[in-house]
Amino acid sequence: MSPIDCTQVLKEIELYLDGELTGAACGEIKAHLSGCGSCMDRTEFRKRVSELVASKCGCEEVPSELLDRLRARLASVDPGPG
Amino acid sequence: MSGGVEASAEVAEERGLRERFERDVLPLLPSLYSAALRLTRNPSDAEDLLQEAYLRAYRGFAGFEEGTNLKAWMYRILTNTFINTYRKKQREPVTVGDDDIEEWFLYDRLGAAAVEASAETEVLEAIPDEDVRAALDALPETFRMAVWLADVEGFSYKEIAEIQDVPIGTVMSRLHRGRRALEKALWNSVRERGLVTD
Repeated sequence: MSPIDCTQVLKEIELYLDGELTGAACGEIKAHLSGCGSCMDRTEFRKRVSELVASKCGCEEVPSELLDRLRARLASVDPGPG
Repeated sequence: MSGGVEASAEVAEERGLRERFERDVLPLLPSLYSAALRLTRNPSDAEDLLQEAYLRAYRGFAGFEEGTNLKAWMYRILTNTFINTYRKKQREPVTVGDDDIEEWFLYDRLGAAAVEASAETEVLEAIPDEDVRAALDALPETFRMAVWLADVEGFSYKEIAEIQDVPIGTVMSRLHRGRRALEKALWNSVRERGLVTD
């Protein structure tokens, strides 16, 4: 089996970064990236964009009384039978 | 009397449910609030959405199978509540504007504008927080949430498919196109803020 080329690697890179590739498919990408600076740069870049979204959009401050309001609301109803 | 025994068993079960809900579901509030804010795009609607979603979750909590993914279960309720109550109000496009954004749009442009090899990521870091949020908020809701669920919460495609109630292929397409549209919006921010000179 011949090793995969840059085009194939970049096509799979999103799946790879999202942790959706396992076993041989994941290993092939890893092996290619360790020897290909260009693909590695692009991979790192995509990873940084995702990290950027996670760090800027992930931790909004919860209004201080929201938890109390929720508790009060829930106290007035029964947990249902499902 | 057996009636009394049954009644007290019911009370005990209800108390158990309440305690479990308090222990396991309420602590999810910070991440669910961020998600609600991304869905509704304003704090007041986000709070209403959360209250409604929590209420539904509470009423249906006995039906939650312990040991399965509670966070995904809550996200599914949040998403459904949003669809049923809010989406009716705001008719949104169901696809991203540009269908044919180049695969490496942002990377190539930053690369062309950057002097040093490592500068692409430095430019990324310089984008103001509100621009990153605005870029995500500009995506149609189903794309926005797919990207949010993957990048912020780290859910697998399978989990996102269950939360959004669509096939995995649809999740992949939403992520791919959503992320490309987001990158394009980030590029607009980079240009408008003068973070690169060209």
